[in-house]
Amino acid sequence: MRDRAREWIDADREDRREFRRWIALSVAGHALLLALLVWAPRPSSQAALPGAVMVDLVAMAVPASDAARPSRTPPPARTAPAAPIPPEPKPAPQQPAPPPPPTHEAVLPKEPQREPDKPKPSPKPEPKPEPEVAKAKPEPAPSPPKPEPPPKAPPAPDYDDVLSSLRAERGETRPERAPAPTAASPGAASAGAVAVTPEVAGWLRAARIAVRQAWALPAGFRNQPLETHVTVELDAQGNVLSEPRVTQRSGNPWYDESVVRAIQKASPLPRPPEAGSWPFVFRPEDLG
Amino acid sequence: MRGSADRVHLLLRALALSLLAVAAAARAEDRPAVVVTNPNEHTFKAAVQEFAPGAPGLDVAHFRQDLVDALDFSGIFTSIDPGAFLGPKRTASLGSEPAITCPDWAQIGADALVQGETSAAAGGIAVDFLVWDVPRCRTPLRKRYTGSASDSRRIAKRVADDVVAAFTGKPGVASTELTFISSRSGSQEVWVMDADGGNQRQATRNRAINAFPSWTPDGSSILYMSYQYLRSPHLFRLVRSGSERPGRLFESLDSKAAVYRGVPDPSGQRIAAVVSVDGAPEIFVVDADGRNPRRLTHDPAIDVSPTWSPDGKRIAFVSDRAGSPNIYVMNDDGSNVKRLTFDGGYNAAPAWSPDGRWIAYEVRVGGQFDIWLIDPEGQTNAPLVTHPKSDENPTWAPDGRKLAFASTRRGRSDIYSIDVDGENLRRLTDGAGDNKMPSWGPYPR
Repeated sequence: MRDRAREWIDADREDRREFRRWIALSVAGHALLLALLVWAPRPSSQAALPGAVMVDLVAMAVPASDAARPSRTPPPARTAPAAPIPPEPKPAPQQPAPPPPPTHEAVLPKEPQREPDKPKPSPKPEPKPEPEVAKAKPEPAPSPPKPEPPPKAPPAPDYDDVLSSLRAERGETRPERAPAPTAASPGAASAGAVAVTPEVAGWLRAARIAVRQAWALPAGFRNQPLETHVTVELDAQGNVLSEPRVTQRSGNPWYDESVVRAIQKASPLPRPPEAGSWPFVFRPEDLG
Repeated sequence: MRGSADRVHLLLRALALSLLAVAAAARAEDRPAVVVTNPNEHTFKAAVQEFAPGAPGLDVAHFRQDLVDALDFSGIFTSIDPGAFLGPKRTASLGSEPAITCPDWAQIGADALVQGETSAAAGGIAVDFLVWDVPRCRTPLRKRYTGSASDSRRIAKRVADDVVAAFTGKPGVASTELTFISSRSGSQEVWVMDADGGNQRQATRNRAINAFPSWTPDGSSILYMSYQYLRSPHLFRLVRSGSERPGRLFESLDSKAAVYRGVPDPSGQRIAAVVSVDGAPEIFVVDADGRNPRRLTHDPAIDVSPTWSPDGKRIAFVSDRAGSPNIYVMNDDGSNVKRLTFDGGYNAAPAWSPDGRWIAYEVRVGGQFDIWLIDPEGQTNAPLVTHPKSDENPTWAPDGRKLAFASTRRGRSDIYSIDVDGENLRRLTDGAGDNKMPSWGPYPR
């Protein structure tokens, strides 16, 4: 129980830290935007950077929420799988030490217990009956550099994954939806989209923490590229009103069930910004 | 007229409702998603009630303890102390329409609730049980076992394995067995024990040297190497029931040929055997009755320790053809030999996982052995068990979630089990003597 409380405190502290970072970045972002607007030689810059900058600035309803993200995403080096050690592709076997003589004949007793009737208490030679190659070879230890036990073989997260996770966090379940409407058509954008205001961002985090705490997932399901999308009906108090609806299956029904169970178990969730249906995305491993 | 107006009205209402539903669905998509990763809990929490009594000779408190022990052994579940229960500690009865107060169980954090009742049945006892998915308030499983009162522990383990299956799709392995070699009686004999280390019993009493026991995939018999009767080692079969005569296999082979080990393939139709015909041991494949031997390796070096891929199409083995022992993989006809390990001076004892993803093997580090996992293509290689003392001879449980191995970490050699994520280490043997060469048996039939 205390552990749980401690986790909550830690998470809360992290939240606050992140919020401060968010504010700072927001200020910085706005300053930068202002600077760009004032200083940038308009015609040429727009021509030179047609896509990236435009889309980015417009798509970010709250630019800082995105600006804050990269600090939590993994550094590029993390794209390589952590634990697995690729075997050195040595074409030739290692130093051609003199092959140990097939010691099995020497090790095995030539006359093994011929009198099966007598319980022979005499010290029997302890044979490794299968011709084990001599273990006494003085060869350097392999000295595996990684002592941690779990054989983690996580799929290498690539930038697409990171991007899609960022998008998912902003509610864009599909990357194709990324190009947002331009600022010139605010009507179209505001039809249904919920802006990620600080309040919404705070709730997303609180809800994530609450469900994560309720979610039980044994080792066999981890380290796997499982992703389940669920729509959850919430009332204003955060009560889960009906069985969450799986909108995208992971391919593993027991994983999907663990996800639905986690949401039910976490009910009531922290009070949502508004009642209604909210999308949830579940992955065993964080990319960060 | 009136009716048709009503119908139109109803139709309009349905239309409006469905439009609303569509609008609501669209809104969910327009909202930002809560992205949940890194779940906190690594085990499901299970509340296990004492089953309703009624079976003669069955102590429901003992039964519950056996069930809880088996669930905890799984590494998949952790049981909740009954002291925390808000609902009843004992099942009243399983009616035809069983009901519980789900929030009582949800509130104590239960993912699962197991309840049941025991009764007298023809020939002994019956145990009926029910698994609840508490947060969803559903019952994914209801089942009945019958047996004699002396079977109660076995039944408790079967129940636990079923509970694991209800939540993961794959049964637990509490009801499986391991065979191993122990010197506790004074000679190297074949022994059998339950997966949790219980019920250890001696299977051979020939006072000769016996080694490398290996289950047939149906669990009906154990192949093992023995020096009994003969001057050279041969392969023998231990049979669980009396229907088949145990005895020596491979009588069709040259009687001078030494047979060091036999490992049945996943279908039980063939045996990969280590046979020494003209010097160095080679890997053969023979039919399950010992006939029709086919030699797979043709190398002056030592080729030993075969292990089958779960589809039976490939064999991993150990060879010192490149100077020091390393793991190799070949097709089941001996073609397409590929070296898998390159690091370290001594890699041996490969064991192919039931899901095909890993080959566990022992690596010499300094003067002792650790257990590592490598994938069959040799892309990923990672340690599983590291300890200053030796850990050897890995063998997989049939669910692929656990392994057993022999370790000298306590001085003498003992058999241990561990989950594949490196958690849940347990010592299974504690008798005198050395205990080694474990082979994990299949699911019970």
